[in-house]
Amino acid sequence: MTAVATARVPRRPEVAGDATGARWGVARTVLRLHRAALLVWGLAVLGLTGWLVWLTEVTADEARAKQEACDRSTRDWCDMSVGVLGYSAPMDGIAALTANAFVAVAAFAGGALIGRELENGTARLAWSQGITPARWLTAKLAGAALAVTLGVTASVLVFRWAWKPNRVLIGTDWMGDGVFVALGPAAVAYALCALALGTLTALLTRRGLPALAVSATLTWLLAQVLVHFRTSLWPARTRTSATEEVHAPDRAWQVDQGALVHGSPAPRVNHWGCDGTAGETRRCLDDLGVTGYYATYHPESHFWPLHLVETGILLAVAAAATAVSFRLLRHRTA
Amino acid sequence: MTDTAMAATALGKRFGRRDSWALRACAFRLPVGRVCAVVGPNGAGKSTLLALAAGLLAPTEGSVTVLGTDPASARARVGYVAQDKPLYPQLTVAETLLVGADLNPARWDAATAERIVSAGELDPKARIRTLSGGQRTRVALALALGKRPELLLLDEPMADLDPLARHELMGTLMAQAAQHGTTIVMSSHVVAELEDSCDHLLLIGGGGVRLAGEIDELLAAHARVSAPADSLEAGALDAHTVVESRVTGRQLTALLRPSGPVADHWRPTAPSLEDLVLAYLRNPQAAPLTPRPPGGGRRMNPTDTPRPPPRGPGCCPGCCACTVPDWPSGPLSSPSSPSPCWRCGARSVTRRPTAGGSTAPASRTGRAVTTRTRSSGTGTCTRTPRSP
Repeated sequence: MTAVATARVPRRPEVAGDATGARWGVARTVLRLHRAALLVWGLAVLGLTGWLVWLTEVTADEARAKQEACDRSTRDWCDMSVGVLGYSAPMDGIAALTANAFVAVAAFAGGALIGRELENGTARLAWSQGITPARWLTAKLAGAALAVTLGVTASVLVFRWAWKPNRVLIGTDWMGDGVFVALGPAAVAYALCALALGTLTALLTRRGLPALAVSATLTWLLAQVLVHFRTSLWPARTRTSATEEVHAPDRAWQVDQGALVHGSPAPRVNHWGCDGTAGETRRCLDDLGVTGYYATYHPESHFWPLHLVETGILLAVAAAATAVSFRLLRHRTA
Repeated sequence: MTDTAMAATALGKRFGRRDSWALRACAFRLPVGRVCAVVGPNGAGKSTLLALAAGLLAPTEGSVTVLGTDPASARARVGYVAQDKPLYPQLTVAETLLVGADLNPARWDAATAERIVSAGELDPKARIRTLSGGQRTRVALALALGKRPELLLLDEPMADLDPLARHELMGTLMAQAAQHGTTIVMSSHVVAELEDSCDHLLLIGGGGVRLAGEIDELLAAHARVSAPADSLEAGALDAHTVVESRVTGRQLTALLRPSGPVADHWRPTAPSLEDLVLAYLRNPQAAPLTPRPPGGGRRMNPTDTPRPPPRGPGCCPGCCACTVPDWPSGPLSSPSSPSPCWRCGARSVTRRPTAGGSTAPASRTGRAVTTRTRSSGTGTCTRTPRSP
């Protein structure tokens, strides 16, 4: 009797602190499971920001010194090549990497974070321990979202710091596809949206590799759609003139430019084909119905409205995908 | 505190939108403290049933209750080991146990988990991906037992193990059942192996429950008869529920659920568990035998035909002088009701640990002992009810 009684391990009473313990326990587990991915992500962010610092502190000064030297000499042709080869190309590359990091996030979320666990049954292992499927998904998403947000935010801040003083050395201005995203919170929103879409894809396919491929493709397509409609996300400004061709101001993003036919923009009218004396040109333009010229553009002050609307769309998609994911998981499990 | 470890009502699970039901109209009740075998052919729905009970799947229809509540609420008190023993391949054995501790902060019993792992001489620093199938099973069982479950659901737990490890781990499981009163539900193909360790049976076939109840009682409710085919008058077997009958040469062998006395010249014998299981699996049309829902009412399975009431003193299969109790008035598996039928000369002594855990005559496997002794000849009928 005593043998049995002593062998019996007394059950620890459940205490209030267990909820906190469980929360940290789940966090520790997620960290333990994905520490390799976290390490790779941390190294990638560190590498990228380190490179940016190097480019800004060393390469930019060299490029500027070379340009100044070039300006002092009579040769002009070196102006372009110095910037492009030494500084501008790597900066564009880093902007593209920062802006497109979401593809890697989507692949990770679909493949390793959720898809692989559903495929090989380890998700069920976690659910048959002390945590519910919803808490499992919450912990996974929160952990990944935290790492992604911190990493991309760091990259964005360093990129902004590197870009501002040397923007004259860079080929693409703020409207460049990569630079536009890398300059603000849209980069984070893209990554969070990729995380949510990857999760949803993984829950739908329940397979690692297909989820990886589908989620990466899906988020890339979403990004292409947003890039295509980016100029329409905020009302553009239009300049018109009755007498001469109009161009967008400096550093503005020119969306459209052309002739006005009977007061309406007609970008396809071939007004530049009218040539000859002033009278001939006037007659030609009258024949075409040209009554003036216009240019539609986003001034640099439109960067934030455009950027924030895009960020909002991405966060809305991310929230919707997350809600559907939780609903799906709740529907599938008890 | 409920006395039901697991119960299902009209439980059904369909995968996909097509009519592919893995489980349908499944109804049973398993009292606490039992070691229950879930047996059935491949694709019968055993794994689906266990996953439903573990709260890993949501039922398409009906419901399953676990430890008196729904599977989601009972999650912390239920242990589950899936058939393919999924574990995180990138973790070491020690880290896997740390995951168990982290995910079960209120219940984790590190000593038990480490004891199970160290009994297999596993290096705690070994990565899970380097382990053999049997070693993975050991780690998976350590994770499941470490959370000190009140109900342990094991899907084909011993399939990957060598006979020695199988024996040792089964002993660990039975010790757990005896020591903590854990209810264990395990599915398996090896019926003979289950007979030694299980006291309750759930036979699943064709997506539904074919047999459910205490193994002793199920065996006692059946008889294997054997007689020359020409000695049987036409329709002689019709008075009983015939599960299976075969004619080999001039000899007719049948497995019956007797509804009354069975003639001596039919030479009734008690079937083995394997006989019983195989007979039901070979004959899907045989009427299922499942317990009544508590409190009476109609049988859970509508295809089961009601038995005629017993006529006076009757005889159970293999029994000659005992009175058949009011069969089948009570739920077969209810712990409070005495066994409805007693085999002649078969003494069934089951000693279970009491609630205080004071008297558990540990057997070789550490579990409460069930011994059966069979006397031959005319014999007397010994009624030895189970101690509850």
